[in-house]
Amino acid sequence: MKVWAIIVKELREYMLKPGSISWGLVFPLVFSLAFIARFGDIDHLIPGLLSISALFGTTSFVASSIIFERRLRTFERLLLAPVSYGEIILAKVLVGAIFGLLVSLVTLVLVSHFMAYSIWSLPLVLLYLILSNLAFSALGVYVSLAISNSINVMTWLNLIRLPMMFTSGAIASLTLFPRWFLVVGLITPMTYSVDGLRYGLLYYYDVIPPLESMLALVLMFLLFMLLSIRALKKLY
Amino acid sequence: MIEARELTKRYGDFTAVDRISFKVKKGEIFGFLGPNGAGKTTTVRMLSTLTSITEGEAYVNGYDVRREKVGVKKSIGVVQDVSNLYDELTVEENLRFLARLYEAPPENVSKLIKDFNLPARKKFGKLSSGYKRRASIVAALIHDPPVIFLDEPTIALDVKSARMVREMIRALNVAGRTIFLTTHNMVEAETLPHRIAIINRGKIVAMGGRSEIRRLLGSETRVRLKVEPLKTSLIHALEEYSPAFEEDALVLKVKDIDAFMDELAEIKGRLGFRIVHLSTELPSIEDVFLELTEEEGEERGCACGGCPI
Ligand SMILES: Nc1ncnc2c1ncn2[C@@H]1O[C@H](COP(=O)(O)OP(=O)(O)O)[C@@H](O)[C@H]1O
Ligand SMILES: [Mg+2]
Repeated sequence: MKVWAIIVKELREYMLKPGSISWGLVFPLVFSLAFIARFGDIDHLIPGLLSISALFGTTSFVASSIIFERRLRTFERLLLAPVSYGEIILAKVLVGAIFGLLVSLVTLVLVSHFMAYSIWSLPLVLLYLILSNLAFSALGVYVSLAISNSINVMTWLNLIRLPMMFTSGAIASLTLFPRWFLVVGLITPMTYSVDGLRYGLLYYYDVIPPLESMLALVLMFLLFMLLSIRALKKLY
Repeated sequence: MIEARELTKRYGDFTAVDRISFKVKKGEIFGFLGPNGAGKTTTVRMLSTLTSITEGEAYVNGYDVRREKVGVKKSIGVVQDVSNLYDELTVEENLRFLARLYEAPPENVSKLIKDFNLPARKKFGKLSSGYKRRASIVAALIHDPPVIFLDEPTIALDVKSARMVREMIRALNVAGRTIFLTTHNMVEAETLPHRIAIINRGKIVAMGGRSEIRRLLGSETRVRLKVEPLKTSLIHALEEYSPAFEEDALVLKVKDIDAFMDELAEIKGRLGFRIVHLSTELPSIEDVFLELTEEEGEERGCACGGCPI
C-alpha cells in the first residue's frame, strides 16, 4: 500500500512537468504523426511507433521525477521513511510504466486509424505493451540512479534511447541490415518489444519468436529492477 | 536516547566526522554547534540512516543505527537543512502522503494542521520560505516520533520566521521529545539547548551545559566598564585586555581580576575619570565558539600583534 501511495504522489507531482510532457508525450506523438503524414500506409511501422512511445513515455517520466527528487532532495523523504529500497524502486518503475502505458495507448488509438489491416490480437498487443513499459521504465529508473551527477541523466538517456530506435528494428526491419548488425539488435532491449508488438498486431515477426520476446522483456524488467536497487544503495 | 561512540565518516581520504562520542538524554535539547563544513549535517545523516557509518557505533531510541534501520526510522523525525516537501501537492496532501508511508493514523494530519495553524489547501511550492520550513518541521511529527533531528532549522529565514521556528522547537521539547539541533546561530545556541557540543573540522572540541561551556575560556572574565569622560589614552592604557566597544561600554577580557583592579585604580589616578559602571560576566557561548573554532594561525596570530599584515 505504501507503493500505491508513492505512485499516486508521483502522478500528481510529475505528470504535468515539462520533462514528462515534452519528451514523454509530445515527442512520440509528433514522431508518429510525422510518419503517418509521410507514408500514409504505415502498418509495418506501427510496432516501432508503439515501442518508441513506450520507451520515451516511461524513461522521460521516471528520469524527470528522479532528477527533480535528487536535486530538491525530496528523494530523501522516501529514504527516511520506513520503506524498503525494493518498495521505492517498484513504485518508481510502476508509475513510469503507467505513464508510458497511457502514452502508448494514445499512440495506439491515433495510429490504428491509419492501419490498412485490423489488429490481429488486441489482448496480445496490450500484454506486450505492458511488458515493454515495465522493462523500459526499469531501464529508465536504473539510468536515472546510476549516473552520479543528476544533471547528466538526460544526456545519458538520449545517448541510449536515440540509437535504440535504429538498432531495434523499430524504424527499418533488422532483416534489411548486414548480419553483424543483428548482434547489436539482439542486445538492444527494444528489439524484443518491437518484434513482440509486431506479432500481436500483424501476426508475424522479424527476428525473435513471440514467446522468447515475452520472456526477454520480463527478464529485462527484473534485471533492471535489481540493478536499480543496487544503484540506489550506492547513491546514498 | 541518542548515543554516538567514536562515530566516523570518511569520504575517500577526507575525514568529515572524526571519532565523535556523545550521549543525548531523553527529553533533552542537544545543541550541535559548528561552523560551516564542520560535519554537522554529516553527523545528522549518519544518525538518521541516510548515509553509511564508516566507523564507530550509534544508537537511537535503543536501536543500532547500522543494523536496525527500520526501528531508527520509526523513532525519528528529521527536519533537513532544506525544506523538501512536494511542490505540486498541497500541505495537507503532503502530510497525508507521509502519514501513509509511516502508517500513522490519518487523524494526525488534521490535528497537526490545526495545532500548527498551517494553510492546508495551499500548494507547498507556493508557500513563503518561513511557512515551508514550518511545514517541513510539522512533517517530521507525522508519526509522533520520540526523537527529532533539526539541521540548521532557521538558516536563511527572516527574523520573524526564525523566531517562530524557535518557538516551535521549544514547544516540541515541552511535549517531551528529545531534540538534536544543529546550528551555527548563536541566538539559538544561547537560548534553546540544555547541553551543547561544539564541533570543528569533524572533531568535538567542547561539550557540556551552557554555563560549563561559557566557563571553558579558562578563568577569563569579561569586564564591562563605563567611564566619563572616555579618553583614547585610557583605551591605550588598557590595551593588554583587548578592549572592545559594546554599545556604550568598554568590554575587557581579564584573567586576574585582582591585579586588574589595582591597575585600574592606578590608571584612574593618573588619567582622572569617573567610573559610571563596572560589572563582570562570563564569556558568551559565541566567544567560546569563536575561540574554539577559529582556524589555527588565523586570528590567534593577529591578536598577539606578531601578524605580518
Ligand atoms: N558527499 C560528500 N562527499 C565528499 N565530501 C563531503 C560530502 N558531504 C559532505 N562533505 C564534506 O564534509 C565536510 C562536512 O560537511 P557537512 O557535514 O555538510 O558540514 P556542516 O553541516 O557542518 O556545514 C565538508 O567539508 C564537506 O565538504
Ligand atoms: Mg550543514
